[in-house]
Amino acid sequence: MPRHAEPLRSPFHRDPPDAKAYTSRILPLFVEYLDDHPQGKLLDVGPVCGENIRFFASRVAKLYVCDLFQRLCQETRQGRSASHIWRDLNYPVGSFEAVQLWDLGDHLEDRDFTRLVELCVLMLKPKGMLMLIAMGEQADSTFSSSLAIGEAFRLHVRAQPDLDLPRHHRHNRELIAMLSPFKLIKSFIYRSGLREFLFQHP
Amino acid sequence: MLKKRKDTEDGNASGSSFAENSYAPGSKSGSADEKTIIGEQISIEGTICGKENLLIEGSMKGKIELEEHQVIVGSKGKVEAEIHAKDVTISGRMTGNIQALGKVEITRAAEFNGEVKARRISVEDGAYIKAVIELDRDDQKKPSSVGKPDLQVASSGSNQEPIALSGGGADKGK
Repeated sequence: MPRHAEPLRSPFHRDPPDAKAYTSRILPLFVEYLDDHPQGKLLDVGPVCGENIRFFASRVAKLYVCDLFQRLCQETRQGRSASHIWRDLNYPVGSFEAVQLWDLGDHLEDRDFTRLVELCVLMLKPKGMLMLIAMGEQADSTFSSSLAIGEAFRLHVRAQPDLDLPRHHRHNRELIAMLSPFKLIKSFIYRSGLREFLFQHP
Repeated sequence: MLKKRKDTEDGNASGSSFAENSYAPGSKSGSADEKTIIGEQISIEGTICGKENLLIEGSMKGKIELEEHQVIVGSKGKVEAEIHAKDVTISGRMTGNIQALGKVEITRAAEFNGEVKARRISVEDGAYIKAVIELDRDDQKKPSSVGKPDLQVASSGSNQEPIALSGGGADKGK
């Protein structure tokens, strides 16, 4: 994969009013992969975000949106286990060229995160890509945020107070171990503690 | 109850407030500013076709063909259908496929499960979606600023410069 060794910000770029935004380094690599597979299928697990839907739907033949954040929130409120959300991921084996997990893993217990990884292994095509974000320890631990894609790969962290999902912080080693069925392609850590990972299906 | 009304200026579909004029069967339709309302207490099964806008606040199961008009599933609407329309707005519960020549809007109150084929789409945060979305890509122009990274204008002055944890020499994975 070509390297993008330099930051992507134009010197003319101005931050939007919300300070909680950063320029993603992994997203351009993920998008480059999608652009190389224009007939591909991408699964986005949410949270539902209009900007992201428009962004990805213009790049792939079919965008699958399955909001597992909302589903997880519903199950949690009803006192049920997170394992109920997996019935929504009822896609055939090898369905997708890419899966965008955002920071869903932060909201899952280890057992459920492991199950999610197993499902991703099944759903992705060989050599398919998986993008994952893990928030830093400073991130709000009581509810979720969406990461809305803006100009020049800026990701705007938008709080979703309706999604009151507790967040679990994991260290890089733990995360990489949990994603061990995949090959780690690239990862970055930001000053905020946020981490981005790009994995490839074996 | 089926009702017919003229749209308010902003064209908002807020439901029961539209119940002003009785539905007039046999009247000539086609006026762009008129819409038929399927009220909360109505259930319909079958095919709806015609030449005016439609607001559903009740239950509908079947097929809706209003290719030059707008279909709105209001906040109280429950629809299990295939919809062919110009524009579609979902604020209630809908299961099925939407084919729109124009825009599909899914508002925050919506619960949508199905497929969308449209020229444009807008989705509000908070909507529940399990969907397959296909946009008319002839109409798609990728914004240059979110295409390939512009390495020429890269600078190293950002205080948010991340540190690479790993990787760099991997295959593209085609």
